[in-house]
Amino acid sequence: MNNLKVFPIIIILLLLLTAFVMPLIKKRKGVFFLSLTTVAATFLLSAGMLRTVNLVGSYFIKVGPYEAPWGIAFHIGYIEALMALLFTGVTLMISWYGVYSIHKDIKEDHIKYYFTLVHILLAALLGVVFTNDLFNGYVFIEAVTLSSCGIIIIKNNKNTSKATFKYLIMSVLGSGLLLMGIAFLYAITGQLNIIAINNELVKVAASKQNIVTISLSLIMVGLGVKSALFPLHTWLPDAHSSAPTTSSALLSSLVLKAPIVFLIKVIYQVYGLEVIRETPIFSILLFLGVAGMILGSVFAIYQKEIKRVIAYSTVAQMGYIFFGIGLGTEMGLMVSLFHVFAHALTKAMLFLCVGSMIEQSGYKYKDEFRGIGKEMPVTLGAFTLGALSMVGIPIFPGFISKWYFSIATINANQYIFLAFILASSLLNAVYYFPIVINGYFGIDNVKGKIYKSKYKPIKEVLPLAVLAIAMVMISGYSSVLLEFFKLGLNIK
Amino acid sequence: MDNLMTNYYDSASMILFGVGFMTLLLNNNLIKKIIGMNIMDTSIFLFFITKGYIEGGRAPIYAATQSQSQNFMNPLPSALMLTGIVVAVSTTAFALALTIRIHDAYGTIELDKVIEKRGLQNEQP
Amino acid sequence: MNGINLLLPVVLPILAAIAIPFLLEKKKEAIRPFIIGTVFLNLIINWVTISTLKTRMYHIWTLNDFIDVFLQVDELGILFSLLVSVLWIFTTFYAIGYMEHEKHQERFFAFFIMTLGITNGIAYSGNLFTLYIFYELLTLATYPLVIHSETEEALYSGKKYLIFSFGGATFILLGMILLYTLTTDISFVAGGLPILETIDRDQTLLMIYIIIFLGFGVKAALVPFHSWLAAAMVAPTPVSALLHAVAVVKSGVFALLRVCYYVFGADVVERIEGNVYISVLIVITILLGSLLALHQDHLKKRLAYSTISQLGYILLGIVILNENALLGGILHLINHALIKITLFFCVGAIYVVTHKIYIQEIKGIGRKMPVVMWCFAIASFSLIGVPPSNGFVSKWYLALGALGAAKPFFAALLMLSAFLTAAYLLPIVVTAFFQTADEASETEYTVSKYMTAPIVLLTGVIVLLGLFPNPIVGYIENIVMKLM
Repeated sequence: MNNLKVFPIIIILLLLLTAFVMPLIKKRKGVFFLSLTTVAATFLLSAGMLRTVNLVGSYFIKVGPYEAPWGIAFHIGYIEALMALLFTGVTLMISWYGVYSIHKDIKEDHIKYYFTLVHILLAALLGVVFTNDLFNGYVFIEAVTLSSCGIIIIKNNKNTSKATFKYLIMSVLGSGLLLMGIAFLYAITGQLNIIAINNELVKVAASKQNIVTISLSLIMVGLGVKSALFPLHTWLPDAHSSAPTTSSALLSSLVLKAPIVFLIKVIYQVYGLEVIRETPIFSILLFLGVAGMILGSVFAIYQKEIKRVIAYSTVAQMGYIFFGIGLGTEMGLMVSLFHVFAHALTKAMLFLCVGSMIEQSGYKYKDEFRGIGKEMPVTLGAFTLGALSMVGIPIFPGFISKWYFSIATINANQYIFLAFILASSLLNAVYYFPIVINGYFGIDNVKGKIYKSKYKPIKEVLPLAVLAIAMVMISGYSSVLLEFFKLGLNIK
Repeated sequence: MDNLMTNYYDSASMILFGVGFMTLLLNNNLIKKIIGMNIMDTSIFLFFITKGYIEGGRAPIYAATQSQSQNFMNPLPSALMLTGIVVAVSTTAFALALTIRIHDAYGTIELDKVIEKRGLQNEQP
Repeated sequence: MNGINLLLPVVLPILAAIAIPFLLEKKKEAIRPFIIGTVFLNLIINWVTISTLKTRMYHIWTLNDFIDVFLQVDELGILFSLLVSVLWIFTTFYAIGYMEHEKHQERFFAFFIMTLGITNGIAYSGNLFTLYIFYELLTLATYPLVIHSETEEALYSGKKYLIFSFGGATFILLGMILLYTLTTDISFVAGGLPILETIDRDQTLLMIYIIIFLGFGVKAALVPFHSWLAAAMVAPTPVSALLHAVAVVKSGVFALLRVCYYVFGADVVERIEGNVYISVLIVITILLGSLLALHQDHLKKRLAYSTISQLGYILLGIVILNENALLGGILHLINHALIKITLFFCVGAIYVVTHKIYIQEIKGIGRKMPVVMWCFAIASFSLIGVPPSNGFVSKWYLALGALGAAKPFFAALLMLSAFLTAAYLLPIVVTAFFQTADEASETEYTVSKYMTAPIVLLTGVIVLLGLFPNPIVGYIENIVMKLM
């Protein structure tokens, strides 16, 4: 069993090694093969991790020869295993799609560097999720920032340059605040290991109330910048819309999620809910989450480019997750984690659909996509499924999230926010449905379009189909997932 | 107030942090933003490392002639900050490369002029 | 697995619908037998399921106390699903005749059949949550039918339909969540959930009741949420007839029946005085529907406003909280469905043959299309409430109920509305029979047998039910007994 426990380290090492081997490969096919097999292997290893956790419960492993708290330890529980499964699975689908389309966005000889960056990104994301040490988390977050900037700027044009710079500057601001927060925590507890900090914090929390609040605020703002907390989201539309398709998908679905998972771990396992309830942090998160939910959708309605519409929709969805955290109850955190899962799958699929529609037709503005349903029925069909999930139609995971958020809101006695949750789902319909309707229906829209003229071959559409099926399966397994998350939050 | 004076290293790093943060946020020149970023990061490193100071300790280096039961200062923060410095350096390098790219694309490295140019670009049909 | 054959009436039509694009890509002519076969099969399955099933409940998917999707067969559900299945058969034949010259037939019939499956699901829902799921799916499945012609007007009407429906669904969801937190149980129990007798929060319950009523009221065309119905007349006539006079709006009414009598229960509604507030809206609905119908020259729109008014009758029956009134209401649900479908079929037949849609255009058409117009006349008389038609029977019971509850105002309202109904229906009959056409043309109008047969058969049923209402009345009395 001890051998099975080292899977997380193997995953990260495997990704990093192949990342640095990649630039040496000359042929494009070789790069694709190596990348896909590596990510598939990590996916299988993550499944193995989940099984191990199921058998023995959560465990710690040390990275390197020193024991925590002098060395770094990884903590693997349900949350970490499930997130690993999610991250590797989604990356696998996105890379598979990328095999067929990446050459349309970036230059031929940069393709191998692209996959290098994707591997580093995935390794860093997993590191953020696994780590049990705050400073180690910070380092991995920086690695995430740099590699995600890389996958945007690898498409070299004016838009991406400016978008990447904006992203980088705001990220660095966030990192600075995060590190300062960690520094304050270190100042009062003298530890950097999450478990150890919690032990010390319990002793000093009452006397050092101010510092607890300050450090938590700094960490929250720092991680909030990286996860598009309203109003710190301004870098997101530019970055996600100008990047190549697969990068947009990766950014929207995964890169935003790792800091949030880290934040949840910090809130729950470092500070503990009781300590934070003394501070006004949760109320602030609640309001900002609601603001993001509503205003994200409102802004999306006014966007002209289709990718920007989807990017603002991401801001709205992240608002839900922050709202769930802000409720301050265990159920709120559980639902937020579930929404992380659901949104990652849905948004990846949406971006890939939109990307393939843009590729095949060359259009960029959402009004130009009329009648695309006739030309690419399967792709728009997958888009429709994603849109229905966002609006909250039953049998899709979006509904399950909305549902559980409502129950969590009522349990936390914050009835007034119920209206906002429901209103926000309706707002989603306002900008998603016209795309679907104008794509499939309308005599003027469909005139002159030839059926399946821009159809992509089956093998290129397959990743989309897999993501769609996974999305629907998630809603079926939602109770299992929620149970897992609940177990995962309780570690000691 | 007393506390501010006695913990002067904390105050100094806070002031430096503020300076760096504001420069990063508000300054128009891209190079100055990067400098601001470095100042901000450096201040945090300063803060961390000073936390490792122990009264009456000495530098945590073994020397053959000294006995081993002396007080050492905490080496952990310094070691960690080495990692931090590496992160800061790589981010700086990346940012500088990005600045060159922006200069190639827009011909300027003043952020307000870049925004103007992009605004003009957006208004063109 | 016990009760898995409960799934059949719901799933079979949906599977058939999905099969249509795939199976029939090669053989377009095979659509007709396929569809006809499916609807007959559906009726048979419904009959068999309800008569032979020992276990009457089937859990499709249970996540927790709340998210529990299950089907349950009870008398009201049987009534609704049988009504819908029988009428669907008639409409299928009619649609085959009507859609002969339209395009996109596969798409039409696929969604047409899918809607049947979903409506069966609504009929057999065991709790409010299942009902909500099928309700949302109903909106989605009927949308492509509404915008079938894909003109700009059609897309606009479709958008209106979606906005109203989803808005209503949000209200329902809100009410459902609030109700669940109070009662932790939202399944349907005849006579109301027992736990509600003991909960003492009248104000909250009243608010929840009104929210849910308004939410479902959108589909039941309650004023002020009625404007989508007239706009949806842009759809082909089979769609208008079945969906908007029978399936969609009656699903709304059915859901309201469930909410009032199977979730809240008559005693609770009376206690929280929910019926007082809602009855104001209902009165307005009855009057406004009739008055607006008078102003319409477009035949289908006139019938649409008539539907709004007639649905008000059924809602009145629900809200008076009296046995006779409820009996009248449920009876009117059946009768109105039959009558309105006949009326729409006639109007649709006129349109297909002559392309005329306004009242002035159909002068003298009674001589050219006698069968159709005679059936229209008989159905009109039934709707007005002239004995011995089935419309008369249901209005009789409604009036009895109103008087029995010491609310003569409602009985007077029914009389007034009967006059108005005559005022907007009789002119059509008069114009068709007693006025001469503007251009004397000698063209013979032949109506396809697919269309005339359902019209005549339905008219026959209307007359039959008027002469011999007792079997159905007895069945409904049975239901009503259990609820009061």
